[in-house]
Amino acid sequence: MLQRTIPIAILSLSGIILMLAYFSPLTTSWGETVLGWFNVLAAVAFVLGAGNLLRVNLERISAQRSGWAYSAITLVSFFAMLAFGLLKLGAVPSEKHPDKHFAGAYEGPTAPYGWMYEYVLSPLTATMFAMLAFYVASAAFRAFRAKNTESILLLGTAFIILIAQTAAGMFLTGWIPQDSVFAFLRFDSMKIAITEYIQTAGMRAITIGIALGVAATSLRLILGVDKSYLSKS
Amino acid sequence: MSDHGSNEPGPQVQAPRKSYRFLWLSLAVLGLSVFALRTASAAQAQGADPAAAQDLWKTIGIWCAAFMTLGILSFLYKDNPFYKVCESILIGVSAAYWMVNGFWSTLVPNLFAKLAPTTVREIALPDLPVSATPGTDMALAFVPLVLGFMLLWRLAPRGGWIAVWPLAFIIGTTAGMRLVASIEADLLAQTVATVRPLVAFDKATEAFDFWATVGAVTSVAGVLSVLTYFFFSVEHKGAVGATARLGVWFLMITFGSAFGLTVMGRITLLAQRFEFLFKEWLGIV
Amino acid sequence: MHEHNGSGSPSFLARLGGIDRRWIFLAMGLSIALPILLKLRFPEYPGPMAKATFDAIESVPEGSTVLVAFDYDPASAAELQPMANAMVHHCASRGHKIVFMALWPLGRQLADKAIEEVLLEFHPGLRYGTDYVQLGYQAGNEGVIKLMATNVPEQYKTDTKGTPLASLPLVAQIKSTADFALIASISAGYPGAKEWVQFAESANPEAFKLVCGSTGVQVSQLLPYYPKQLDGMLVAVKGAAEYEMLVEGKYPVEKNAERLGQGRVRMGPQLVAHMLMIGLIILGNIAMVAGRSRGGAR
Repeated sequence: MLQRTIPIAILSLSGIILMLAYFSPLTTSWGETVLGWFNVLAAVAFVLGAGNLLRVNLERISAQRSGWAYSAITLVSFFAMLAFGLLKLGAVPSEKHPDKHFAGAYEGPTAPYGWMYEYVLSPLTATMFAMLAFYVASAAFRAFRAKNTESILLLGTAFIILIAQTAAGMFLTGWIPQDSVFAFLRFDSMKIAITEYIQTAGMRAITIGIALGVAATSLRLILGVDKSYLSKS
Repeated sequence: MSDHGSNEPGPQVQAPRKSYRFLWLSLAVLGLSVFALRTASAAQAQGADPAAAQDLWKTIGIWCAAFMTLGILSFLYKDNPFYKVCESILIGVSAAYWMVNGFWSTLVPNLFAKLAPTTVREIALPDLPVSATPGTDMALAFVPLVLGFMLLWRLAPRGGWIAVWPLAFIIGTTAGMRLVASIEADLLAQTVATVRPLVAFDKATEAFDFWATVGAVTSVAGVLSVLTYFFFSVEHKGAVGATARLGVWFLMITFGSAFGLTVMGRITLLAQRFEFLFKEWLGIV
Repeated sequence: MHEHNGSGSPSFLARLGGIDRRWIFLAMGLSIALPILLKLRFPEYPGPMAKATFDAIESVPEGSTVLVAFDYDPASAAELQPMANAMVHHCASRGHKIVFMALWPLGRQLADKAIEEVLLEFHPGLRYGTDYVQLGYQAGNEGVIKLMATNVPEQYKTDTKGTPLASLPLVAQIKSTADFALIASISAGYPGAKEWVQFAESANPEAFKLVCGSTGVQVSQLLPYYPKQLDGMLVAVKGAAEYEMLVEGKYPVEKNAERLGQGRVRMGPQLVAHMLMIGLIILGNIAMVAGRSRGGAR
């Protein structure tokens, strides 16, 4: 009962309320209440994520597994950031309520939390993703092989887009008048043809396919047919 | 380069070769000395001005950001302790960042403010509006409070089923939202966008528009052929097979274009990091 | 790297296939670093999607309230902040009132940055509360959009300064997303422009115009929505550069113009790096063919 029936009932009820809220204005406020709860739980999930991080790293430190010192660094930076943010250390006092410490602003770069965001978190995340530029180059050299019609189509399109997206496109074919019969040979025209007609069509079919999948899965969950989430405990 | 990018940090990190240790150490010492010199001279130049402290922190910040950037980039050469330290800091800081943001932006005004409005008003949100229905608000706020605690139960070693309740609620709400949205915005709207006249005429002159017609036919053929390719209930033979093959071609062009655009994105991100290093840190651009 | 041991000295091309990938990394690094150091700039020609975005913001009557959602983080800021900056300047120059928000926690500070570096820099006369408002971040992803589609004050109790929405003239009358004249999502993925289409546009299809700025990676996902569900779309940094040109053409600024030109600055490295990518793909294929013919001859 506690482990199966109630969760199934909760799932169906919340799903049905959200659907009803869409179809009937009378139930809109029900949907709003449920959404309010949902959004609060999304914030609780961040606490859960932090808790998980703590657990994993504390375990690693206590077992002195290889690289435990890095776990210690993770925990120190975690607690430092947490203290800066939750306690609003060094926050800029609120203009209207300077006497209330927790009404102050902690996000600007003059407060420790904002400083950490600006000079630690931002450069780290940005560089992490920037690294992909190198790997995409390496992958292009090693994996992109023109073996058959399909891969030639893929590579040919990639070439056209890569050229058309830069000034090279205009430099190479910009001299072809836009109203001439050969205008379709301009890289910018080819790019528009590819993205607007072919890529859009391809993605449209994929979107329709995904929509069908999402609708079917959602229905299976709400109707209680799919109970796989119960085993996640 | 078989070792590069591997997920086996142990041996290298535990016992880096002496030459590498020397390299990293000298890099760190060099960087720190330049940094100390720059900050000292900056502080001297500005005297005891209150704005000087802020500038000093900015200078320290830019140096810190530069070290973080170089630390991550150093992985390209090979996995090393400098990179691992930066990575560990990133994980710790970002987890705390998300949690703090969730706490102050959502939990305080949308949960605690309903449960204990007076306290929240006294401590953090002095201007919090007074609710017309405080009792109902409080009663309703107990639901996410209880569900939230149950969700956090996942961290406990026992009673895993307790966290399934909030999980069921999250899944149910998502399913309810998505069911309607995906049918409306994706299935129906995209189908409508597909079904359109195959022969196009110029809006102004009403003359037959060759390229617009080609475009319209291509779009419809693309959607139908790709859908045929995704349709596995019929064996891909004969006419169905040929259509599915056309669908694959459409998909390949789609992915080729997506690849080109992705490359562009990645390059931009790296360009911005270099801009930071050259402009804000070194000041050479 | 060592596939050719013991079978004679392989040709240069065949050996190329096994090149240490750090050389490729170096080439990529240089192809981006050099154009920045040499300040390479190339002309841009606004495409139809950038024009559509520009026109959508122009078409909304002066003084309308627009919502700009910062649905990204510093990892995508290189592509998206130039769009955000140009869009904020465009909206303010056109006389629109701007409400800022974020679906990504780290997006909130990027919105603050746009306010500080663009809005207050180029439009110092604008007043907080009547001309612009920063609502900040809320947890809940598409749940936030869905709730805002019917009840904005239920989602946002206060702005980022803790002021109740009812006390801010600009947003006091806003009940739902339908009360905005235009919504712009500067989007890096989930949650972002796709969710704005699914949960806000679908709920009120005719109520407001919806435009988006998208990262290169996300473009494919959003293409099917343009031009019916999305009125305009800025595609990657090229879209940003094109849009910057349109905005600068109509609303030029006197000083600090580089703040509205970051997209064009980042187009310089694109040309060189794209040519490198094409070269690498061709070289990789040549190396494969060379290696294969050598293998066949053996």
